[in-house]
Amino acid sequence: MKKIFLFVFAFNICTVAMAQLERKLAVEDRPVELTFHAPRHINLLTVEPLSKKELHFAIMHTFGTIDGGLQNLFGLDNGANIQLSFEYGFSEKFSVGIARASQDKMYNVYGRYHLLQQTESGSMPVSLSFMGSAGVNSSNYDFLLAEAPDFRERTSFAFQTMIARKFSDKLSLQLSPMLAYFTSPQPIFLIQSREQMNLGLGMSGKYRFTSKSSFTLQYIPNFNSEIRNNLGLGIDIEAGGHVFQMYFVTSQALNEQYLLAGANGGGIDKFRIGFNVNRIFATGGR
Amino acid sequence: MINKIFLLLISLFCVNAPVYSQVFQTESGSVSFLSKAPLNEFTGTSQKLNGLIDLEKNLLDFYIDLNTLKTGISLRDKHMRDNYLETKKYPFAEFSGKLNTPPALEVGKIYEVIATGKFKIHGVTKTINVPGKIKVVSASQVDLNANFKVLLSDYKISIPKVVFYELAEEQDVTIKAVFQKK
Repeated sequence: MKKIFLFVFAFNICTVAMAQLERKLAVEDRPVELTFHAPRHINLLTVEPLSKKELHFAIMHTFGTIDGGLQNLFGLDNGANIQLSFEYGFSEKFSVGIARASQDKMYNVYGRYHLLQQTESGSMPVSLSFMGSAGVNSSNYDFLLAEAPDFRERTSFAFQTMIARKFSDKLSLQLSPMLAYFTSPQPIFLIQSREQMNLGLGMSGKYRFTSKSSFTLQYIPNFNSEIRNNLGLGIDIEAGGHVFQMYFVTSQALNEQYLLAGANGGGIDKFRIGFNVNRIFATGGR
Repeated sequence: MINKIFLLLISLFCVNAPVYSQVFQTESGSVSFLSKAPLNEFTGTSQKLNGLIDLEKNLLDFYIDLNTLKTGISLRDKHMRDNYLETKKYPFAEFSGKLNTPPALEVGKIYEVIATGKFKIHGVTKTINVPGKIKVVSASQVDLNANFKVLLSDYKISIPKVVFYELAEEQDVTIKAVFQKK
């Protein structure tokens, strides 16, 4: 009797017509998004992934030092280092990019792999990504009395691990232990370091002050003692499909190898104006 | 014992009621919106519309998890969720209402209907009228098509001046769903 009763009762509950549908989320524990505004943050790469078949285009500039004043329009007349980069998402986790900087006419091929993604619930507290890069200096050194460096001597490599956490809607921080290796760090290259192995710890910070703009910070203490630390301060602005990044930075370098091995200005008047534009395109059908 | 039999009888009556009701449901309806701004036109779609049509009680109830809307560019999706729809605070768009003249369901017929109800998005609720078409495919299936416009400013979704040329103030929303009898 009891069983029949329970059965009917259960059946009854199952078929009671609902007044309203229960609101249910499609995915309960979502990954944290927009830890940073873009895959780039001042000069460093971030944990911000691309989706499959997406192309990220970034154009980055750093100008001359601002000590020339208005006469040189705060360094804008002194010639820019410009880097164009295209990065393509092969999956939600892996992307490959190619970058070309005018400083030493450097070509870089790089990849990013996103191993872990922070989740909203905190079940995963950080995002973790890896980045590897191989580059070649394609400058013309025919003017040298000595023999110009060969292809192997022009190569350099970089590797970094990016660990980031979005602490709140406002604050995100990233630590990037980095290394750069020059096969032959020649004096003619636009780098200060004479060592093959260069180590640094990239630190990136974002503090959002309106829904579409943030203060940004980049600090790269250099473990090669003779090189000054790199410091950058700026703002990121989201404008439709673009992310604009404007900053003051101590180095003209735009890629990882040159950020670690290149010179940094000391003193407030040796800062440079920098400017990035990021855009993401969808490729292929949906 | 008598108590139990009494309860059992009551439950049997309850069971009877919904069996003959006209309740149609879906969990995989399609929602799309079209944004037509001077410099940029794009659509966002989701296949996760949950809907309930109860013709006996004349009750309509729809909702969608806004996180499932995709525009084809993930950064734009992220900005949409983060800046505009604020899906962490307001994850759903909802419509609850009724048909102004509920149709008799004759198989094979298409009915032009108007639904009136409360539409809620971004934490703001407004009463709207939505014209649509209900096609009775069989006794156990109805197809619904509906189209309405959403003014972002009505729902306190503000467009910054720099984005004005890329994101339209008026969004054209289309709903297409196949409902099965419950």
